[in-house]
Amino acid sequence: MVQSAKAIPSTWCPGCGDFGLLAAVKKALIELKVPQHQTVLVGGIGCSGGIHNFLEINGLHALHGRLLAQAVGVKLANPELMVIAAGGDGDGYAIGMGHFMHAFKKNASFLYLVMMNETYGLTKGQASPTAPIGFEGNVERPFDAILAALSQPVPNFVARTFSGDPKTMTKIIVEALRFNQEGRGFAFIEDLSPCITYNDTFKLWREKVVDLATLPGNDPSNRSTTFRQYLEVVESGRIPIGVMHRPATVSAEVESLELKLLPDHIGPANAGIELSEENLTGYRKLLASVR
Amino acid sequence: MSAPAIPTADRSSQTGPAVGGSPKELTDLAVLIGGQGGDGTLTVADLLARYFHRRGLYVYLSRNVLSRIRGGHADSSVRASVDPTTSIKSEMELIVAFDAQSLELGLPELAPDGLVLYDSSSFHSDRPNAIGLPFATLAGSQLGQPIYKNTTAYGVVSYLLGFDPAETRAVIEERFQRRSPEALEKNLKAIEIGRKAAAEHPELAQRWSVAKGSLSGYRIMAGNQAVALGFVVGGGRFFAGYPITPATEIMEYLGRYLPSMHGVVRQAEDELASINMVIGAAYAGARAMTSTSGPGLSLMTEGIGHAGAAEIPILVADCQRVGPSTGQPTRHEQSDLSHLVHIGHGEFPRFVISPGSIEDCFYLTIDALNLAERWRLPVILLLDQALCQNGTSTPPFDLNGLRVDRGKRLSAEEVAKLEAYQYYKFTPDGSSPYAPPGTPGITAQVTGNEHDEFGHVSVNIPNRNKMMAKRMEKLIHALPELPRPRTFGEPTARIGLIAYGSTEGPVREAQEILAAKGTPTKFLQIRTIFPVLTDTIVPFLESVDVAYVVEHNYTGQLAALLRGAMPEHHKRIQSIVKYDGFSFRGPELVAALEGRKNGPVR
Repeated sequence: MVQSAKAIPSTWCPGCGDFGLLAAVKKALIELKVPQHQTVLVGGIGCSGGIHNFLEINGLHALHGRLLAQAVGVKLANPELMVIAAGGDGDGYAIGMGHFMHAFKKNASFLYLVMMNETYGLTKGQASPTAPIGFEGNVERPFDAILAALSQPVPNFVARTFSGDPKTMTKIIVEALRFNQEGRGFAFIEDLSPCITYNDTFKLWREKVVDLATLPGNDPSNRSTTFRQYLEVVESGRIPIGVMHRPATVSAEVESLELKLLPDHIGPANAGIELSEENLTGYRKLLASVR
Repeated sequence: MSAPAIPTADRSSQTGPAVGGSPKELTDLAVLIGGQGGDGTLTVADLLARYFHRRGLYVYLSRNVLSRIRGGHADSSVRASVDPTTSIKSEMELIVAFDAQSLELGLPELAPDGLVLYDSSSFHSDRPNAIGLPFATLAGSQLGQPIYKNTTAYGVVSYLLGFDPAETRAVIEERFQRRSPEALEKNLKAIEIGRKAAAEHPELAQRWSVAKGSLSGYRIMAGNQAVALGFVVGGGRFFAGYPITPATEIMEYLGRYLPSMHGVVRQAEDELASINMVIGAAYAGARAMTSTSGPGLSLMTEGIGHAGAAEIPILVADCQRVGPSTGQPTRHEQSDLSHLVHIGHGEFPRFVISPGSIEDCFYLTIDALNLAERWRLPVILLLDQALCQNGTSTPPFDLNGLRVDRGKRLSAEEVAKLEAYQYYKFTPDGSSPYAPPGTPGITAQVTGNEHDEFGHVSVNIPNRNKMMAKRMEKLIHALPELPRPRTFGEPTARIGLIAYGSTEGPVREAQEILAAKGTPTKFLQIRTIFPVLTDTIVPFLESVDVAYVVEHNYTGQLAALLRGAMPEHHKRIQSIVKYDGFSFRGPELVAALEGRKNGPVR
């Protein structure tokens, strides 16, 4: 047995919502039986972005806001890897907003977990893009990432979970990772994960969450129904959770970026690049074709 | 210390036009073609370049376009020479002007015995050395479409320069073979229209002939294509970039080359995404690159720093253009050097490598990929607009003796025999063994936070000191492996010249002009900008009385870097700069050197 990087004890505050997600990710990976060495977690910057240290899988700690671009790079270099990106809402929706929206467009098969707590905990409690009006002097309306995700007509997986309900969360993460494993594209889960130090919303959110699956006529494969139900719940002052979008059937067309580009699953990281006779023959042909 | 004075230029040797008798044979000539963007000036230049190329001549093709799709002045110059050339000729034998502005802009470049051909359906000129022919009207009346005016002009030029008619047509066939048969036929007819109009023109006669060269097997290629080819052969399989002049062609060529070889080319949403996608792919074990120019480089700065701290091997090609800010996107400058040498906050090692010719672009891209992986750090390929975009006669690339050096990369079998796998293992040379994610039996943590050998975040003081030294000392341990400079000229000369990138072309032309006038020089072409290979530069500096550092920027960035690295030689290092958006031409550089006489630094 080769000794390599072990999981280290978490640095989060006791009671942090992120523990719920950490536990759910662990359970989901165990349930899916993906080998640890085949899994890469790309972490953002912030409290939640350090999650890769607390799991015994490969970790790539990205720059602030750039985790999605790095995750796409990993997945396209080696489509055999299971890739998870995880970070906070400041990381994802403020400095990382450009990459966030483009992740839906790119549609590479990996899971993006946002631990959403309305605040920048690591820098001691400033308002994040999701902060309500009045929080730490915030006067801007909060950003709604689920609506942004649903607004893109891409057949990917969108859900919102609540750290106060780790059982449902595990189920949804398993579903999202299966979606990725099937090469169906990007999966996005926003987890309501309270910061117990600067914005303890556990009680408030527990009272306010409404699982869309409990509403009559809910159908996550129907974008317009979900969109309407989501808005109705929001407008009633409550917080929708559950699976927000999930295509009913596997698309007949290849949807995911990695399979469009690399249909035989061999990517840049596992292509043979040594100067073998086979490669040299190809290179000679290429050079000869250059006028 | 006083530098030897360089004799003043003798400009009395211009020969006049051939009057009567046989046409004068040219062994080094240049044609400037100017018009509005969309006039097809680039096509004429391309056709002429192809003709000269087929005649075995060295060709150097330079474009001067504005940063817009259509309209605005655009011109190109084609130089053809029996001897090697990689710079723009200072005087043009022939100017082809499709509009009045091009004639006015071109005149200062006209050789004393030169001639201007202009489109008289567009404007009229009374200048004695200008002859009008209605290119657009001729094409419009006989082919139904005035857009063939450019090929018509090519026909006129072919007559004037005594081109071989069959070869003239062959060039059209080569260029338009993939177009519709109708387009090919009309272009062939346009040549004949042009040749006939020239033959019937009372003031036009074949004035020159063009010597035949002996080149064979060469191709006209610009640096961007050579970098793309070098990337492929060097095992590069992942590219992400964002369109930016003058770097975009690297992405476009790779978009053609890589998909058939398990490679990936992505146009990202911005340069931030580009560099971070490259980082992700390189982390996963792919050889990965992005290419950009100044504005994109500014955005990529954080990513380059991350690759340095996290020890992820990436390649960044910087095609320098005029800065700062948006600057002049289509024009030439070498002003990113200081930024690259110091790029990023904090301190981390990086190599800055600069090829000087098209073939150097190919081979040094391969070297740069090897160096990045061997030393696990960011490598910057420092290019410039002239090198990236000017078509140059280039010898075939030799695939023998090349190597793909994967450094300390471990196979799964090698990993299985380890006691421990640590991504940041302390080693004598600072570079740690690497196994990609997915290797059975191990996991790794990779981060831009300061970390211990396993990649876990660490604020331990001895670890910080050791880890910092581990990274930074790569700059010392790698020195023997970095690309050496090349020297050209007279080994005993007391006047030294130092330059990098495409400046090699004008410097070598200036050397020839000076040598012909009895002033020997020697030229050190630097190929590793950073770290400064002082062991290769000090002996050069000690062997000369003065070393002029020739570069295209305002502050003399390379000169400043060299003075800083070798302060004991600072007086010998003198700066010759140009920052008007154009590369030095040989005679212009000679004049700058002659005017210097050990004068002020700038």
